[in-house]
Amino acid sequence: MQVDLDKTFELPGSGNQGWTFLQDIRGVASCMPGAEITEQVDDSNYKGSVKAKIGPATMAFAGNIEIRSMDLDKRELQMVGKGQDSKGTSSATMDLTAWVVEEEGKALLRGKASVTVTGKAASLGGRMMTQVADQILNQFGKNFCNNVAAMGEDEVAEQAREELAEQPAELNGFAFAWSVFTGWLRSLFGGKASN
Amino acid sequence: MTEQMDKETREAALEGMGCSRKRKEDARFIQGKGRYTDDIQMAGMLFADMVRSPYAHARIKSINKEKALALPGVHAVLTADDLKPLNLHWMPTLAGDVQAVLADEKVHFQYQEVAVVVADDRYIAADAVDLVEVEYEELPVLVDAHKAMDADAPVLREDLVGKMQGAHSERKHDNHIFNWQAGEKEATDRVFDNAEVVVSQDMYYHRVHPCPLETCGCVASFDKVNGHLTVYLTSQAPHVVRTVVSMLSGLPESKVRVVSPDIGGGFGNKVGIYPGYVTAIVASIVLGVPVKWVEDRMENISTTAFARDYHMTGEIAADKDGIIKALRVNVLADHGAFDACADPSKFPAGLMHICTGSYDVPVAHLNVDGVYTNKAPGGVAYRCSFRVTEAVYVIERTMDVLAQKLGIDKAEIRRRNFIKSEQMPYKTCLGWEIDSGQYHMSLQKVLDAVDYDGLRREQEEKRAKGELMGIGLVTFTEIVGAGPSRNCDILGIGMFDSAEIRVHPTGSAIARMGTITQGQGHQTTYAQIIATELGLPSEEIQIEEGDTDTAPYGLGTYGSRSTPVAGAATAVAARKIKAKAQKIAAHLLEVSEDDLEWEVDRFKVKGNPGQEKTMKEIAWAAYNNVPEGMEPGLEAVDYYDPPNFTYPYGIYLCVVDIDKATGETSVRRFYALDDCGTRINPMIIDGQIHGGLNEGFAVAMGQELPYDEQGNLLGNTLMDYFLPTFVETPKWETDFTVTPSPHHPIGAKGVAESPHVGSIPTFTSAIVDAFAHLGVTHLDMPHTAPRLWKTMQELGVK
Amino acid sequence: MAKQAVSFKVNGKQVDVLVDPRELLVHTLREKLQLTGTHIGCESTHCGVCTVDINGESIKSCTFLTVQAEGAEVTTVEGLASADGLHIVQQAFVEEHGLQCGFCTPGMLVRAASFLKENPNPTEEEIRWGMSGNLCRCTGYQNIIKAVQTAARKMQEA
Repeated sequence: MQVDLDKTFELPGSGNQGWTFLQDIRGVASCMPGAEITEQVDDSNYKGSVKAKIGPATMAFAGNIEIRSMDLDKRELQMVGKGQDSKGTSSATMDLTAWVVEEEGKALLRGKASVTVTGKAASLGGRMMTQVADQILNQFGKNFCNNVAAMGEDEVAEQAREELAEQPAELNGFAFAWSVFTGWLRSLFGGKASN
Repeated sequence: MTEQMDKETREAALEGMGCSRKRKEDARFIQGKGRYTDDIQMAGMLFADMVRSPYAHARIKSINKEKALALPGVHAVLTADDLKPLNLHWMPTLAGDVQAVLADEKVHFQYQEVAVVVADDRYIAADAVDLVEVEYEELPVLVDAHKAMDADAPVLREDLVGKMQGAHSERKHDNHIFNWQAGEKEATDRVFDNAEVVVSQDMYYHRVHPCPLETCGCVASFDKVNGHLTVYLTSQAPHVVRTVVSMLSGLPESKVRVVSPDIGGGFGNKVGIYPGYVTAIVASIVLGVPVKWVEDRMENISTTAFARDYHMTGEIAADKDGIIKALRVNVLADHGAFDACADPSKFPAGLMHICTGSYDVPVAHLNVDGVYTNKAPGGVAYRCSFRVTEAVYVIERTMDVLAQKLGIDKAEIRRRNFIKSEQMPYKTCLGWEIDSGQYHMSLQKVLDAVDYDGLRREQEEKRAKGELMGIGLVTFTEIVGAGPSRNCDILGIGMFDSAEIRVHPTGSAIARMGTITQGQGHQTTYAQIIATELGLPSEEIQIEEGDTDTAPYGLGTYGSRSTPVAGAATAVAARKIKAKAQKIAAHLLEVSEDDLEWEVDRFKVKGNPGQEKTMKEIAWAAYNNVPEGMEPGLEAVDYYDPPNFTYPYGIYLCVVDIDKATGETSVRRFYALDDCGTRINPMIIDGQIHGGLNEGFAVAMGQELPYDEQGNLLGNTLMDYFLPTFVETPKWETDFTVTPSPHHPIGAKGVAESPHVGSIPTFTSAIVDAFAHLGVTHLDMPHTAPRLWKTMQELGVK
Repeated sequence: MAKQAVSFKVNGKQVDVLVDPRELLVHTLREKLQLTGTHIGCESTHCGVCTVDINGESIKSCTFLTVQAEGAEVTTVEGLASADGLHIVQQAFVEEHGLQCGFCTPGMLVRAASFLKENPNPTEEEIRWGMSGNLCRCTGYQNIIKAVQTAARKMQEA
């Protein structure tokens, strides 16, 4: 099961701030709901884990993240995350390219991700995969923006820090499932799932 | 009472053939006293559960059992390495291939069996499955059958590399299984080259699963003291299982007892031998205690016995009046990771060469290539006789395409091409001999019953208003009752079947057959055959099947073979008894055998009223007063090797309305006329037809096993896999004509699969017909609302 | 896992069982109480072969924990017949050939009996909807519908 996603988030700060944060792998990982870097193996390899609780099922993926390239000129990061759930019944790969651009005076975080899921998760969750991946990236984008905003010292930064502190340690089951469901409902009626 | 009335009363009292006798087996089922495999509990019984591969194609780098073995209540964790010393890590398939019992170094499809855990109960076993750690290295996956023989396709079966001679033919590629052909290629091609009209249609008969409500399972119990192995299992062919188990285990066949208890639906799912059975047996032999294995629904849909997955092209050469001159069929068969098709050994594409259908086809050619892909093995006959469903689909769809191209009505084009009843028995150009049929008469009966012309007028009006109404028509011929042992065998055993009847002194009887009922009502219908043949009340005839220790050897129940083969054996065995009874009657009445005539339940002396002996009286005499030189007793066995297959046929018509806004199909009418020859129990026949139609509806309208590019099976729970409920299921109208089989002892042909085989193309025919005025000639199944909605978008239907 | 004592009534008889909190009712019924008429078909509440009656409601026992049954009155297919003989729906299923392999039959009967209490005089459409939680692969439903109609008629007459 492969899902390709293309996302753009408007960053609160400057392009430079966005790019600075994008280079902080641990920071970036922490934006992913339920994800965590557990170990840095070398300059470009990390070990990490993702935990997701959807309904009664908890899936814990453990795996490796490899930074394929970090292009300072293009302000572009390319990474591949690969993990297997602890029960060995599912695995997931995410091929992500993220870059920061400035357009019309706005700083934008752009991302292209290709998520491949195999195993039980694909068999059982296949029909929701696009929505699930979409919502994960939406939460990621929100956290990323908060992190960038939190770099500042003003009120906005303070609020962003508060929001970050409240972020649940793992994918929030109910709220998450609900957003997936509403996203799916919208897609049924031909509307585009909101970004 | 007049003599005639007396005769009729006695006849009715027998509840023999032709009456809608209530079912004998119902009493236990309605009270929850059926005995299915999972109902069996034994002292000390352990439970086996499978560790399965999450990947479609991967190398196994390591398996760590330690954590699982440390869990209290776990007795064993077996992998291929444990089975190797016993040479049981691979097993032969019915199709001449081998299949991994537990994955040997590599997994070839998602959910493949990797290790088996044996524990105190199913909960502990499930916990332990989660604790077995398997490290995989993913390999490139092959899902698309069309790419299987590409030069750069990943090689799936490393065990076969270099073995270019397959079980059925040379292999052209490492992923090639066989090439199989029937008919005359050059002669057919020549006709095509010079034909006035040629049509060609590609169609994909998608992968589906029979999905009976009871999944597969077994309880293996090895008695270490006397070396006896008893296996209770969900098998449609228990005797074949016994032979295979004996061959695999080295135990003498006399020490292996296989029992098929009550079976909760088979539909082809329970013909094969699965890794779960083998590992449970091994575990029981090793541990010396009974071991139960029962698959869950996901395991069932994902691993045991898919059906179909045929990529077909049907081509007809005809003249401008629509008279068929030649037929060409090409098939790419996706067999999954192991060729585990359940077909008679000589036919790797089953009876696909019945694809000339009900039509007088002068020359034809069929070409089938089987390939491996990273999908579950199988290729079973899902409520059909070995690929007959595919054969009927390709010919019936292509006939519709021809009709459409020539602007001839689909009923008319069939009428023009039917084999005429005076041509029967008819030798088809692909080698079959259709024994009987009155196609023109049966078709007319249906067209009249539904007012076909009226329906076509209504359709015209609806089309004018922009509404979508479709009329489907299929006139199919099946080939069932495999089969004559000259061309049908399984693992070298001829596909005869058997019956053994014993009449007790007081005139009740017990009969045992080599088949096994899974809902068909054998306990009711076989007794009806015997009742009519022997003049004993069916109520007093006990039917037993499924225990290999007591029943005579038979090949089992699938491919609509019970009535055509074991039913024939039953009639013949009864006739052997009757012949002996006649001798005893002559002896008792002190007349010559020739002076006797049979009437309902007794032998009468011709022209001498009152001089008679009932079968009950004869039965008593058989045990105390037989003619000199005759051995006492009244029993017979018959192993019936049929001289030919039987050819039930049907005319099915379906009317659908499609909602333009949603793509939802409403089946307004489904009219099924079946001709299954002599009708043993009309009530049961109707029930079988309703059920077969509903399974056909499921396949045509929603069932599918879709795989994504990574080889993940998307949809292996009942959340996704379509089993129609009361609500979706249409109402069924049934009808019949009777054209007895001339070679079958009672003229019966078999019926339960016709409605499945025949209804599927009927639904497609109706759906396509709804769009025919827009130039659509074919739409692939399943005809779900989203797919039809998409079709409408593409066609610009508003 | 500490076992828990659970007491409830099955087919009018008091039972006390000791189960893991995670044990499903269908397993308790089948394996501890030997009531194997209730079957398992999908483990996901779809097929209905595990249908039992709990406090007058149709429940799919494959997704119902035994501990939830504490104090409940459970009726399984084995409890349909009484000293007077078979339940009317049981007779009607035989009469109308409403079963073939028999695997869905216990759940179907329990549901039919319950459904006819909810709606003693149903139309065909109401039967189709009211019974739609129970799947059958053999009969194509037509004769089950007839059986429910026959049972309804006979109950009215009785």
